[in-house]
Amino acid sequence: MRPQATFEREPARRIFASEFRETRYQFKEDDDEKSPNYVIFPTGIRSNRIFIVGTLTEKQRQGDQNIFYRGRVIDPTGTFFIMAGSYRPEAMQQLARIEAPAFVAVVGKPNLFVTQEGNCLVSVNAESITVVDRETRDLWVLDTARETLDRLDALGTTADSRKAQEEYGTQPEIYRKIVYDALSQVQM
Amino acid sequence: MNLSEVTERISRKLESSGAQPDRQKIESRLRRLVEEFGVNVAEAERTVTGDLAREHNLPNLGSSSSDLRPINEIAPGEWVTIEGKIVSLTPSISPSIAQNGIIADSSGAMRFVVWSRANAPAMEYGHWYRIESAVVDEYRGSPNLKIHSGTTISQMEKDVPLLPSITPSAELTPGVGSVRAKVIQDWDVLHERMLQTGLLGDESGTIKFVIWKEEGKEKLELDTVYNIYYATVDEYNGRLSLTLNTAMYIADEGDIEVGRNETEIQGALVHVAPGSGLIKRCPVEGCNRSLSRQNYCPVHEIQSNFRYDLRLKGVLDDGERARNILIQRDLVEKLTGITLDEAISIAESNPIGMDEIFYRVRNAVLGRYYTCSGGEFAGRMLVDSCVPVTFKPEELAALLNRAGGEAA
Ligand SMILES: [Zn+2]
Repeated sequence: MRPQATFEREPARRIFASEFRETRYQFKEDDDEKSPNYVIFPTGIRSNRIFIVGTLTEKQRQGDQNIFYRGRVIDPTGTFFIMAGSYRPEAMQQLARIEAPAFVAVVGKPNLFVTQEGNCLVSVNAESITVVDRETRDLWVLDTARETLDRLDALGTTADSRKAQEEYGTQPEIYRKIVYDALSQVQM
Repeated sequence: MNLSEVTERISRKLESSGAQPDRQKIESRLRRLVEEFGVNVAEAERTVTGDLAREHNLPNLGSSSSDLRPINEIAPGEWVTIEGKIVSLTPSISPSIAQNGIIADSSGAMRFVVWSRANAPAMEYGHWYRIESAVVDEYRGSPNLKIHSGTTISQMEKDVPLLPSITPSAELTPGVGSVRAKVIQDWDVLHERMLQTGLLGDESGTIKFVIWKEEGKEKLELDTVYNIYYATVDEYNGRLSLTLNTAMYIADEGDIEVGRNETEIQGALVHVAPGSGLIKRCPVEGCNRSLSRQNYCPVHEIQSNFRYDLRLKGVLDDGERARNILIQRDLVEKLTGITLDEAISIAESNPIGMDEIFYRVRNAVLGRYYTCSGGEFAGRMLVDSCVPVTFKPEELAALLNRAGGEAA
């Protein structure tokens, strides 16, 4: 019997750019082609979708046959690299229309790419990008801080977080500091 | 597991009953069992505890795996002996599993699995068995009895009628549960192997149920009260549901005043689904279905006297769970600042028509934070109230405190 669970949409995890940048580990639950690709974040949770809010500082149109857009979205801790291609025409059109700089909300899939030199590039394949306001950005920083602290509190108590400790040697103090610094940039 | 830890645990257990155990002796007995006789640590712990309990004359202390245990007291990780009745057998899902189902005694019920490797005699539905030295592990958050090659099964002559105790739906926990509930919603089945799904309600609240297609399984009747014995209670992302394939269900006389469980969720709107924005509805009385672009109602065919409506189908996501929500016209007007009349005139004068309203609605709400409350229908929250979340400095202060401790 398949549990009803399979019909539920995966939640979009909240993560700061500086943690997202460190993400290296990805896996599939089974060999089925259609089963989702997950990454495990250093603070110990699996994810195949994230929700981020930040400042779009630049965007670029690339490619001739296969047009796609790249964008940089900045949060208080670093930079997310966003991609929107023709496989997601709506997201591509949305990004094409937005003038940088702007506060944007992005829903997308984490994407790991290993270069020939063995460097790992982490980006976000956007499913949607919309213009939001500063208050939404501030709410996101609070939300992401809370989720990150919750994950740090649960470190070592779940299978995924033990895997994260093994893969990344996660040091909770470092991430606590990142959260603190991110919050410090929000105006009271 | 480290033997000195186990020694310490056994010693403390004895000490708390007033005995003065010799730690060295405990450890050497454990070591002997584990290293010389290949007994696993959990079993060795039980054996040594039991022996010492007898030596110190503490009969209640060392329940060993050969002592009969009531099912509702068993926890994952234990080796147990139980006597119970097979109250459900479900088709095996894998060749490595010979049988699976539910075993019950007067205290409660538990799922069990018999491994093919165990070469155990097949147990029959409705009969009582004594099962010695089975292992209990955890399966989807609840205890599960595993019958392996070291387990002894013997059929008993006993036939005591069992009356499962009914649990209020709000107090169910993952595992096995029995409820008395009314079928309050019958949802569309979205999966070819599913027979029926919907919502059950009792005085304490509501819970989703599923029946998978299987020979002999019948559907529940809407608005009817049932006694449902030995359903499987599953949990996903903190929400419980009942699978009735393991259950016996009997329609009951009488009615139930179903408790409403309005829920409130706060999160980001991460998806605006097609079918949001301006839609056309079928004008036939009592229909109200949304029409296709060609004004086609799935029941009443072409309807050119349609009426317009505004709605928002989306996903509100708090980072832990993504929930489908449906917002009706008045709230959509408030959230987007576009009234139905404005939407109609924009759509009628715009080259992309109704799509323009979809984009405007999407751009107004997607990626923003809202607090929504409402009841649930067919896996979707019908939103009664929805307000944007506002920034609260005290939340920032509390989080700074939590992240920084002394640094704050
Ligand atoms: Zn109709």
